[in-house]
Amino acid sequence: MKRLRLIFLTPAAALLAGLFVAPLAILAVYTVLTRGAYGGVSAPFTVENWMRLADPLYLAIVWRSFVVAGVSTAICVVLGFPLALFIARSGARKNLYLALVMLPFWTSFLVRTYAWMFLLRDTGLINTMLLAMGVISEPLPLLYNWGAVIVGLVYGYLPFLVLPLFATLERMDPALVEASADLGAGPWQTVWRVILPLSAPGLRAGAILVFIPCLGAYLTPDLLGGGKTILIGTLIQNQFTSARDWPFGSAVALGLMGLVMVLLWLHARRGGEPLV
Amino acid sequence: MTRRRTLFFLGLSGLAGCTRGNTPRLNVFNWSNYVGDDTLARFEARTGIKVRYAIYESNEEMLARVMTGNSGWDVVFPSNYFIEPMREMGLLARLDRARLTNLANLDALFQRPAWDPALAWCVPYMWGSSGILYDTRLADAPRAWADLWTPRFQGRVTMLDDPAEVFGAALKKLGLSLNSTGEAELRRAQGEAMKQKPLLRAYLNAEVRDQIVAGDIAACQLWATTAQQAIDAAPHLQYAYPREGFALYADCAVVLRESRRAGLAHEFLNYLLEPEVAAGIVRVSRTATANGVARRMLPAEVSGLRALYPDAETLERGEWFQALPAAAQLLRDRLWTELKSA
Repeated sequence: MKRLRLIFLTPAAALLAGLFVAPLAILAVYTVLTRGAYGGVSAPFTVENWMRLADPLYLAIVWRSFVVAGVSTAICVVLGFPLALFIARSGARKNLYLALVMLPFWTSFLVRTYAWMFLLRDTGLINTMLLAMGVISEPLPLLYNWGAVIVGLVYGYLPFLVLPLFATLERMDPALVEASADLGAGPWQTVWRVILPLSAPGLRAGAILVFIPCLGAYLTPDLLGGGKTILIGTLIQNQFTSARDWPFGSAVALGLMGLVMVLLWLHARRGGEPLV
Repeated sequence: MTRRRTLFFLGLSGLAGCTRGNTPRLNVFNWSNYVGDDTLARFEARTGIKVRYAIYESNEEMLARVMTGNSGWDVVFPSNYFIEPMREMGLLARLDRARLTNLANLDALFQRPAWDPALAWCVPYMWGSSGILYDTRLADAPRAWADLWTPRFQGRVTMLDDPAEVFGAALKKLGLSLNSTGEAELRRAQGEAMKQKPLLRAYLNAEVRDQIVAGDIAACQLWATTAQQAIDAAPHLQYAYPREGFALYADCAVVLRESRRAGLAHEFLNYLLEPEVAAGIVRVSRTATANGVARRMLPAEVSGLRALYPDAETLERGEWFQALPAAAQLLRDRLWTELKSA
C-alpha cells in the first residue's frame, strides 16, 4: 500500500522538483549575487538586492499593483457572483453555459488582449460605431489608461472566479434556500443572508485565483496600459531585459512571491480552513 | 534594448546543436525579417551545408542564450553596441579575413566602423536609425525632437518603450550625446522625458505601426525599418531625421567562440556578403543593407528609400549607440522606472 502510494506520487513530485523547486532555488541564489555588467550574475555575495526592495520607488510600484489587482478582483466578484448563481440554477443548460465561460481559453491570451486593443483604440470598433451614430464627435480615449488595464484583467480572469464559485453554489443544499423562503425571507434577503454566506469558501477561492495572477500580470498592463505606468510584473521583466539586472529582478520576483505566501498564510490562519 | 518585442513571445527556443549523420550543419540565430525566402535554401543547395535557423527579438534575449558558452549556435547577429561587451565576455571568435573575400563589398561606412575598426570580430549586416514617423496630412510636420514636446499633437504622439531611445531623444534635444553616461546629463534627460510624458498617448514599440497607419497617432518615435513598413502601407506617412540628431545602430554577423564549425560559419558569412545575395534579401525585407555593392544593384525605388538610406549630409547628425557602462545602466534603469512611476 505504502509502496503504491510512493509510485503514484513520484512522477508529479519529480515534475515539481525539477521544473518548479529547482528553478526557484536558482532564483533564490541569484538574489544574493552581484549583477553581471551585461546580464547574468557574478560574485561576490551581497544582500544589496534585497535592501533595494525597501526603496520607496519600488514599494510604490508594489502598492499600485495591489490596488490594481484589488480593484480587478472586486469587479470580478461583483460580475461573477450573479453569473455563477445563474449558471448553478439553470438546470439542463448548465453545461452549455459552463462551456461558454471556458470558451475564451481556446485562444491565446495574447491574441485576446490584442483583440481588446482593436476594440478600444481611436479607430477601433467602439469609437467608430459611436462616431457613426453621432453619439460622440471626438474619439473617446479608451485605450492606454487604467480603465483599459482593469477591463483587460477582469476580462482575462473572470472565469477563474466563476468556476470555483459555481462548484460551491451547485453543491449547496436547495433545502436551505427553500427553508429561507418558508421562513419569510424575500429573494434578496435569501441571497444576502443565506446564499452569499454559504458560498463564501468558493468566493474566497475564486477571489484568490483572480487576485494573484492580476498582481503579477504584465502582458495586459503593458499592452492596454501603453507603458505609461509600471506595475510589478513589468518591473521584473525590465530587470531581465533592458536593465540587465538579474539579481534584483530575482529579488523582486521572490519578494512578491513571499509576500503573497505570507498573506495567504495569514488568511488561512484567520479563516481556519484550507484555501483551494 | 528590446526591439520588436511584440514578437518576443513567439521567439523560438534554441536546442543544443549537433551534427546529424554526415551532413555538416550550421546553426544561425538571427533577427526576424533578416533573410529572404530562398537565402538559406540556396546556400544549402550550393554547399551541401544544412542550416538550422531561428529568430530572436532582442539583443538581451540572444545574449542570455549564448552567454553560457555552450548554446549550440555558431553565427549570431548582435547590434553594434553589443560587440564590445560580447568580446569582453570572451564570446566572440576572431574572424579570419582571408576567408571573407567579399568584405570589400561593404559600404564605405562600414569598412572601418568605430566599434570594430579592423573588422576583426564582426561583419556589419543591416543598419538603421530611430527618428520620427509622422502623418503628412497634418499641418506643421515635425522636424525635430523638440516638436514632440509641443502640445500641438497632444495625446496623439508616442515614444518608443525603451530607455535608451527615450532618454537618447531627450539627450539629443538637450544637445548632448545620446551615449552620455554622467549622472547630471542623465538626470536632465529624465527631466525632459518627465515634461513630455503628459503629452504622450503611450510608450509603444512596433505595435504603434498599425495605429499610425490607421490614423490614431499623428507622430511617433520609431525605428526606420518599422517606419518603412508603415510607409509601405500608408503613403501619407513620412520619416524625418530629427534636426538635433538621431540614433544609429547596425546589426552585425559574428562567429561565436564556442563554434566548432568556424570554417562553415565563415563560408556562410562570405555568402551573405555576395552582392546578389545581400540585394535579394533587402528586396524582400525592406531593411537597409550594409553591403554597398548590393545597394547599387537595387532598383532606385528600393535603394532610394530615404527612411532606410539617409543622404550623407543627414548621416552626419546620426550617432551610433554605444555600450553603456554598468553604473550608468543601473542609474538609467532607475530613472526610467521613476519616469514610468510618475
